[in-house]
Amino acid sequence: MDQFIEQIVTGLSIGSILLLVALGLSIIYGSMGIINLAHGEFVMLGAYAAWVFHTYLGLGLLASLVPIFLVVAAFGWVIERYVLSLLNNRPLDTILATWGVGIMLQQAVRLMVGSELRYVQLPPALSDSMSVFGIPVSSYRVFLFVVSIALFGATWLLMNRTTVGMKLRAIIQDRSVAASFGINAKRVYALTFAYGAGLAGLAGALVSPLKSVSPDMGTGYVVDAFMVVVLGGVQSLAGTVASAFILGELSGGIAFLQNDTVAKAIVLLAIVVLIRFRPEGLFTARVRA
Amino acid sequence: MPSNVTNPNGLQRLIAQLAPILVVCAIVFALPVLLNNDFLLNKVARYLVLGILTISLGLSWGFGGILNLGQAMSFGLGSYAMAMALKLKTVPVHTGASGLPDFMVWNNVQHLPWFWEPFRSLSFAIAAGLIVPALVAAALGWFMFRGRVTGVYVSIITLATMVVINLVIIDQQSFTGGFNGITDLAQLELFGVAFDAYGRATYYLVAGCVLLSLLVAFAFTKSKAGLIVQAIRDHESRVRYFGYDVALYQIFVFALSAAIAGLAGMLYTVVMEFASPTFLGVQLSLSVVVWCAVGGRQSLVGAFLGAVLVAGMQGALSESAAFLETWTLVMGALFVLVVLFLPKGLAGLAQVVWRWIVQRRQASTRGVAQGVGQTEGST
Repeated sequence: MDQFIEQIVTGLSIGSILLLVALGLSIIYGSMGIINLAHGEFVMLGAYAAWVFHTYLGLGLLASLVPIFLVVAAFGWVIERYVLSLLNNRPLDTILATWGVGIMLQQAVRLMVGSELRYVQLPPALSDSMSVFGIPVSSYRVFLFVVSIALFGATWLLMNRTTVGMKLRAIIQDRSVAASFGINAKRVYALTFAYGAGLAGLAGALVSPLKSVSPDMGTGYVVDAFMVVVLGGVQSLAGTVASAFILGELSGGIAFLQNDTVAKAIVLLAIVVLIRFRPEGLFTARVRA
Repeated sequence: MPSNVTNPNGLQRLIAQLAPILVVCAIVFALPVLLNNDFLLNKVARYLVLGILTISLGLSWGFGGILNLGQAMSFGLGSYAMAMALKLKTVPVHTGASGLPDFMVWNNVQHLPWFWEPFRSLSFAIAAGLIVPALVAAALGWFMFRGRVTGVYVSIITLATMVVINLVIIDQQSFTGGFNGITDLAQLELFGVAFDAYGRATYYLVAGCVLLSLLVAFAFTKSKAGLIVQAIRDHESRVRYFGYDVALYQIFVFALSAAIAGLAGMLYTVVMEFASPTFLGVQLSLSVVVWCAVGGRQSLVGAFLGAVLVAGMQGALSESAAFLETWTLVMGALFVLVVLFLPKGLAGLAQVVWRWIVQRRQASTRGVAQGVGQTEGST
């Protein structure tokens, strides 16, 4: 029984990291239809930002979260403005363009700070462990879980309870009609992309104490994040949350029964089959087109 | 366009379209005369093989509109087919019972697994290198296109499938050599010719396959099926309303492209003298897309040259680490620029320039003709 609960908790922990990484991607893909292959690099930038703030400015991880969000969001804004906004009617080409941007970011980081692994310290306040259902869990993982849910809540509020969110939803429904009502679609898109990038940066900063930081750390995340978004359904934030935890539990569980490689292969296969039969994802109610 | 071929105008056009292919292949065949360095020749052969792989992607992406992010899957399968046959031809250092490959001995495998057995025959292996990728692609194509999966989802499915096969190969170490791949291979021997990786024979084999793949792909794009595939790329539902079985044509071009990629994979094993899981890795697969986009996805020769030039440049600069790193950065920027401003790649640029030259020449001859007419005092 203890083992079972332990598995559940491990799954929740994997799931919260998945959610952190996938949330930004879900916003960008769901609202703009852009397949952002540079997403992993935004995660990487966030992790490096955490490292830079810590080593050069002496800022702790928690204190630097807000500046990290802003820095990576600025990167996202520039990329949307000068690259992606030129590709309005060519969704497949956004895959290529963002991949090129990703390579540039990765390479620029490699040239500037080198390709050796970097380590970010756990916040001292969260470095002990606590007991969840009688199972000892590192406090930081609990913290990640809480933060990921909080960020989801903030994003939901932003989308559904603010003017910018309303404008964005209007553009998603019909860009030209929204524009004729005086909504500046370009600006809203740039802000959306910046927000998604900022979230990815936060994700990178938050996972950096758990994994080593390297220029190519993003590649793995972007694939996982995609699977989460596709499984959850493209325009469904709640679906993203559900699928992040489903995938987390699934990979945790299969990895326990078999091994990591088999877990990954089976999860991927399941997703391939799902796309074939339910391309709109598990949790999307059909909306009127 | 059979009717066009019979009239002289169409024939002329056909020759004009074939000309770039023939010119490029002539250069490829002439290269060993100029390059008297076996090491360099081996490198060039390697880039040519990657060129064939990129032609295969151009066929499915540029002409079929199917952005296959897992093109390296077919390449890797072909490569392993060849490596398995060549491995069984070696005299292993650590021989197990009946010439068991060395890595199997290390992994305590007692008998040759059943699926290795037929690879004792080289002709079976070569057939498998073409047919297995084609069948896998056809099955995957059937799975996707019968369900009318399109666009981005095709890319995700192909990428995920490739990653799964890659993971399985790495995981099943005792049967596939795992992370290390299959190394220490015998030389390929066909019709009494030994293909040493650093020999001319291998180079000419690769060059011949370049010509063959370009011609097969070209013939396909000009065939009726090829035209329908292009029509599907441009407007899928309209073709469907005409009563064509859209999925069937998509499956066909997908499988044909996989077979060509399989051929490239087999050659790659011969040139590199090993097979590795990286041959069906995400990195290579995405690089192929870049080469194809830079060269021109809707031009077979363009795709081929894109691969040879970009991969060749990368290889030439990899002598110095600092150069390579900077080059990768420049490459990324170049790629973004190509996607933004040259959606048809360098081939598209060449076309524009060519048309401009032709127009200028026509304009000037017309100008002369008018001038002549005026001096003669008109009719």
